[in-house]
Amino acid sequence: MKPAAPLLVLLPALVLLPVLVLLPGLMHGGGWDLIGTFLEAAVHPSLDPVVLASLLQGLAVTAGMALLGWASSVLIGIALGIASSRLVWRSLSATERPAQLLRRLLAIPRSIHELIWGLLLLQLLGLQPAVAVLAIAIPYGALVARVVSDLLDALPDQTLRALLLSGAPAPAALISALGPPLLPGLISYGGYRLECALRSATLLGVFGLGGLGNELLLTLQSLEFRELWSGLWLLLALMLSLEALVRQLRQRWGMPSRFGLGQGSSGQRGRELLLAVAALLPLLVLVAQALDVHPGALLHWQPLPPMPEQHWLETLALPWPSLVVNTLLLTLLAAGMAVGGAPLLLLLVAPWRWGRRLLQLLWALGRLWPPPLTALLLLFVLKPGVVTAALALGFHNLGILGRLLLEGAEVAGAGAEEALRSSGSGARIALLYGRFSALARSYLAYGAYRSDVILRETVVVGLVAGTGLGSQLRESLSSFAWDQIALLLLVYAVLTIVGEDLSDRARRRLL
Amino acid sequence: MIQPLLELRSIEVAGRQQPRLLGIDLSVHAGERIALLGPSGAGKSTLMAVANGLLQPDQGTVLWSGEPRARSSRGRRRQLQRIGTLWQDLRLIEELTVQQNLNCGRLGQWNLAQALLNLLLPLESEACRAVLGQMDLDPALLNQPIGSLSGGQRQRIAIARLLRQDPVLWLADEPLASLDPRLADELLELLLRQTAAPRALLLSLHRPDRIQGFSRVIGLREGQLQFDCKPQDVSAPMLQALYAATAEP
Repeated sequence: MKPAAPLLVLLPALVLLPVLVLLPGLMHGGGWDLIGTFLEAAVHPSLDPVVLASLLQGLAVTAGMALLGWASSVLIGIALGIASSRLVWRSLSATERPAQLLRRLLAIPRSIHELIWGLLLLQLLGLQPAVAVLAIAIPYGALVARVVSDLLDALPDQTLRALLLSGAPAPAALISALGPPLLPGLISYGGYRLECALRSATLLGVFGLGGLGNELLLTLQSLEFRELWSGLWLLLALMLSLEALVRQLRQRWGMPSRFGLGQGSSGQRGRELLLAVAALLPLLVLVAQALDVHPGALLHWQPLPPMPEQHWLETLALPWPSLVVNTLLLTLLAAGMAVGGAPLLLLLVAPWRWGRRLLQLLWALGRLWPPPLTALLLLFVLKPGVVTAALALGFHNLGILGRLLLEGAEVAGAGAEEALRSSGSGARIALLYGRFSALARSYLAYGAYRSDVILRETVVVGLVAGTGLGSQLRESLSSFAWDQIALLLLVYAVLTIVGEDLSDRARRRLL
Repeated sequence: MIQPLLELRSIEVAGRQQPRLLGIDLSVHAGERIALLGPSGAGKSTLMAVANGLLQPDQGTVLWSGEPRARSSRGRRRQLQRIGTLWQDLRLIEELTVQQNLNCGRLGQWNLAQALLNLLLPLESEACRAVLGQMDLDPALLNQPIGSLSGGQRQRIAIARLLRQDPVLWLADEPLASLDPRLADELLELLLRQTAAPRALLLSLHRPDRIQGFSRVIGLREGQLQFDCKPQDVSAPMLQALYAATAEP
């Protein structure tokens, strides 16, 4: 009894069963009127010019931080990616060792969420715009580096060897042999990272690092829901325009889609691309000036508050098993809800023409709505804990996976679905058998990757919803207990590195 | 008089430069096996798409067993269950087993729960075995993934799936196009054998060399019917006129 491919994509949704069973017990009775007011405010956002001006300014700061953080991460990522490529080391010297060593080292900055980087850097550097930029640039840079080195190592090395043998200097040989085949994948991935950077910059704002996120949090805490929605709709407009732009450019330049179903050819529009990069540079300088980001300021460290005495025994006595188990449980629930929930919802609304549009809107809101804000909103009606945190995290990732699923469903299995429809099958069954069969493997492979991201993100909701390692980290950060912080980060890093390895294995089996 | 299974009245489908179908009148009765001939671009695929309801004509009426296109989605699905299409690319689902693919023919009648269960524990094994037998295929294939089958086996599975659906009107758009001559003969023989009354077959062919065995032959050129007669009455001049080179605009 082996479930067939289309059923596999629905199986993760089984985690919804225990969640639904537990949910009634988690309600604390009050707060429903607040949820009602919140929902009603969605259609009556505040149009007060003062509010809008302040929100727009916040949005500009968030967008600027995202852009700068993203650009730095791409630069860092390309440099470190080349430096950690086995192929490059093998071609230039006799050994691959340094590449492997650097790869292992890069797993550490990658395993720590940008929010933790933000909070740590905040302690070191004080509140300045450069903190958010750097907080995005460090983990993103390590992520881009991994993708670049993976892309490089998948390339054949004959061209490079031939150029080197013919006496070309190493840098020139590297650029001309590896640059062109690397570019499509890099640009496609880079565009996707820019979308992520916008979400991250909003999230960092929620935790006080500036920009729109901060305003969203303040309006939520002061129950000014109409102003909150004005900010959300503005952010949604920016996010959807950015996503549309990235999609357009990806199609125009013939880059592979993120889903990897249609492999793109190498870009035909070299000149346009060069122009785009050239236009980006002055823009970055302008944004940096407008935001008052000075790389030099990063060198001035704040004096740290006096270190309290280290209490390693107390640190070890923290409830580690329950912290770790809760973090893993949170990951499992959120990942199941997101990975299985997206196809389940798509299936449920399949017969209605407007159903898909409605889902697209819901998913767009999920993507842009920072999970800690969802958690705060849920706390109006639910008690804090793993399930509440999982709902918040699951909703956010549902938005990301749902969009991906729709993108995949546009190309995969169209013929089979049409054949089923024209033999009289209902819309749901035709979608299930026709489309889901064709995209099951690549969707689940992406789901495996996403689960590993979700594990990293647990810290974000844990900080608010009081569960897992995240909640402990918050306490330790606020009491400057550096011994606890160090150990917590270590445990986090180990968990995410193990998680990354597991998700890699799952993906290799699926693809 | 007995209702025709399919009736096209004055069908017109507009195209970009010239109409794709122009004034098509055609009835298909139970027991008829009709070959639709014509050069590339004559409108054969368009006619097939109108016949199975994928394409709504710009002008004219399509009746299935005397009924126009049903308004309600339930009625429409019931109508569609009576029309079976053999696709040129077969449209089998590669990720599923033979039995699950055969059961796709039943999905029109099944509810979502049955459809889901079939993905876990393939249903109705006896009926699936029976249609495999009718196609001279080994019942041991039932649990094989579609990806492991040969081209000829896949063709037969696609027909067996139609047998599971059990439609009255069988439509096949150039099913022989990509087959070697021996396979094409076998497939045609199977299709003709399975479509005796009360069923009917409308099959489009690019080349006129396999029209024996059909009860009617229709010639289509530039969207218009050129002839409609018995195969023995198709003459060489008729075919020459049908396939004559078109004057390029």
